[in-house]
Amino acid sequence: MTTVMARVKKTAANPRVFLLFLIVLLVVLFGSLKPAFLNGPFVLAPLMSSIAIFTVVGLAQMVALSVGHMNLAVGQMASLGAMVMGLCYDVFRMPLILGLLVGLVAGAAVGALTGWIIVKTGVNSFIVTLAMSFALIGLVPAMYSWLSEGAAFTSKPAGLDLIGRQTFASICMGNTCGTDAVPLIILPAILIMGLVWYLYSRTRLGREILVTGSNVKAAELSGVPTGRRLMFVHTLSGTLAAAAGFMVAASVGSFTPAIGSEFMLPSFVGPILGGTLLAGGFVSVIGTFLGITLTLVIRKGLDLFGVGLETMNVLLGVILLVALSTERFRLASGGRRRGGERPSGEPAQTDDPDQPDEALKDPPESVQTEDKELAR
Amino acid sequence: MTVPALEIKNLTKTFPGVKALDRATLTLMPGTVHALMGENGAGKSTLIKVVTGILHGDSGTINVFGENVHFDGPTDAMDAGIGVVHQERNVVRGFTVGENICLSKMPRKGPLVDWPEVKIQAKRCLDMLDLAIDPDTPMTELSAAQTQLVEIARGLYTETRVLLLDEPTASISVDEAMRLFRVIERLKAEGTAILFVSHKLEEVFEHCDSITVLRDGKTVVESQPLAGFTRDEVIDKMVGRALAHLEAPQRSVDMTTVPALALNALSTTAGHRNVSFELRRGEILGLYGLVGAGRTELARSILGLEGVVAGTVKVKGEDVRIRSVREALQKYRIGYVTENRKEEGVFLLQPITTNIAVTVWSKLAKFMGYVPAKDEQSLVAEQVAQLDIKISSQDQMAGQLSGGNQQKVSLAKWLAANTEVLIIDEPTVGIDVRTKRSFYDLIWKLADEGMAILLISSDLSEMITLADRIAVMERFVVRGEIENTHHYEEMSQAVIRLIHPTSTPAAGE
Repeated sequence: MTTVMARVKKTAANPRVFLLFLIVLLVVLFGSLKPAFLNGPFVLAPLMSSIAIFTVVGLAQMVALSVGHMNLAVGQMASLGAMVMGLCYDVFRMPLILGLLVGLVAGAAVGALTGWIIVKTGVNSFIVTLAMSFALIGLVPAMYSWLSEGAAFTSKPAGLDLIGRQTFASICMGNTCGTDAVPLIILPAILIMGLVWYLYSRTRLGREILVTGSNVKAAELSGVPTGRRLMFVHTLSGTLAAAAGFMVAASVGSFTPAIGSEFMLPSFVGPILGGTLLAGGFVSVIGTFLGITLTLVIRKGLDLFGVGLETMNVLLGVILLVALSTERFRLASGGRRRGGERPSGEPAQTDDPDQPDEALKDPPESVQTEDKELAR
Repeated sequence: MTVPALEIKNLTKTFPGVKALDRATLTLMPGTVHALMGENGAGKSTLIKVVTGILHGDSGTINVFGENVHFDGPTDAMDAGIGVVHQERNVVRGFTVGENICLSKMPRKGPLVDWPEVKIQAKRCLDMLDLAIDPDTPMTELSAAQTQLVEIARGLYTETRVLLLDEPTASISVDEAMRLFRVIERLKAEGTAILFVSHKLEEVFEHCDSITVLRDGKTVVESQPLAGFTRDEVIDKMVGRALAHLEAPQRSVDMTTVPALALNALSTTAGHRNVSFELRRGEILGLYGLVGAGRTELARSILGLEGVVAGTVKVKGEDVRIRSVREALQKYRIGYVTENRKEEGVFLLQPITTNIAVTVWSKLAKFMGYVPAKDEQSLVAEQVAQLDIKISSQDQMAGQLSGGNQQKVSLAKWLAANTEVLIIDEPTVGIDVRTKRSFYDLIWKLADEGMAILLISSDLSEMITLADRIAVMERFVVRGEIENTHHYEEMSQAVIRLIHPTSTPAAGE
């Protein structure tokens, strides 16, 4: 019985479980107060569609965070990728998959360039990606007005509408069709989540990226080619951003310069709420998904209650702040209780050694020393 | 009868699950150097932290010059004339040397910092240690040892009647330690009471007057004159049972084999000139030198982290050009255990599995880079068992282990990768006597199994215990190589003579 209790306690302490609990609670709350919230084609399908898109955006940021970097150009990389795709469909009449691939390569290329600059110059990723985003903010609309009529590519290759705007209701087997509450665009999002999860949890490359994020000096001295790993991470971030750009274009039906303009802030919210460390070395794909889901469920719910956009943004800001500060507080008190006042040289007692997420919260001595220094 | 400078009575401090101090008692007289000894975790650092107001004791009394005190924070202790050099590096890396020294009490001119005065004060502290460091130097440009010396200079900044030194010599060379002891002698003559924590018995016996030994938070030797003790007795008191005297085993190296690693007149961008040596399998070659002699830089040059200007590196008789640690590891089977465990040796926030398997992922990887968790874990389990690393699970974070176990983890990753040449840089800094002993046994065992070991250390007694031969480096040049006879007196004289060829060895050395 006690072990069951311990297990329950441990699970409840996991931030991912906490997020899931909040999401379920809110859905039940909104659903019972406003039954319209559970309407399939008009509420749930669009909601899931934006969750799918922003999860991919969140992952594009998460991979940069995994090495302690950031990608402030995530939106602009998405818009560049989308522009290239639109160009392929509109001017070169390419089929869906081919144009998508070319666009992803464009995203990868701009990401690789960013990564290369960061590694070669040693300039902070914040600055390099900020500069990159400015350059692209200028470049992409200029390209649109030069290459398209009306500053948008509107040609739709076969299949674009299916993936972007339709639900499982369009997929039929004999006489039975799927539900119209679930959009098809969740499929690419699930595929991407699976691939990123596999990368970080199962492969050598993912492990090497995480140790690079954890301590780049130690990684280099352990034989990890840290420069190449950093470049890969930015390449991947650009690729995922371009994929998100494609998903937005598919869901609205045209390729415009506005794609990606609102990506940057949400891209941080998902990973951070989900437990990804800003300092690098720890990521959570599921957490990123749950973090994005929570914010979008709140947004949608408030929208149904007729809360205006301005009020909604203020409310969202407050909710995020509260959520993050309780999390921060929990971290801090947990760390103090377990490791903070440990006599030097004594190995720490781990309450739950088989729970890496929990153990992570125990800041190592060096971190504490720094904290103390700052406090003084 | 003089009043004790510091009198600690029945001090108890409990952490969840551990009694760090259990009625600890200590009397420190003015004008004496008092050794505080004990193994890691015996409570030495906790005692110092309570005395300086960083931690608060549960019960017991502290008197400073006969006056009962309660410190709420470090500033209170400072105002009472207690200076301290902590074991952990507490420097602010983004600041300059001068700022760090004066950090506790910045000289002011009205509301503004008096920068010229900061420089003057910092210079004064640095001069006391004969340190030729400009106060304007950023901390980031200093080596580990120089950082430690600045830390000591910081303890000299304020007027102190009681100076607490927590392992100040852990990562500095004999020469620099000698400067420190000259300062200690001077302060002692001026009547300052000094509490000195060190794991180095030689230092303690040479410079201390009295001794207190802590074991598991309890005082087992209470403020007695050091003259009545032998080294073995002190070790016995610390570990609580008789520990065999550190004696090098009989070892023989087959000198006819092709050297596993050889440098031939190597000059580097780091500044080395004409460095040559040969290291054979099964051999422990000691590379001894003062701080700044270029030992760590030589290791980095071998690994390709510094450029080669002239000369060659040979691995098993063949000229090689190593460009990265990865190449050194995968192509030439050379591993490097760094001197800077926490910053370069382990990933504090990553699990043990990751910390040890990091060198072997490329070997374990299957199709599409897939690393089977089972293979990884069994390989790590093997190393954990072989090195006797104390962990509760492989998922435990490396940052939660004690220093000795972290060091074992940082060594284990190279053993897991089957390296044939191991460069070990300062393996036992800040590690207690018993763990040190097990490290020595381990290094001997690895050599007996055929590993070629290049041992870098600034602990001369460690060098004389462990090495088969000692190469002495000074200012990026190897001054000479000596066969090790394992006689401390004889060897230390020989080493000092190589470093200072013209002068006679300094008194007391």
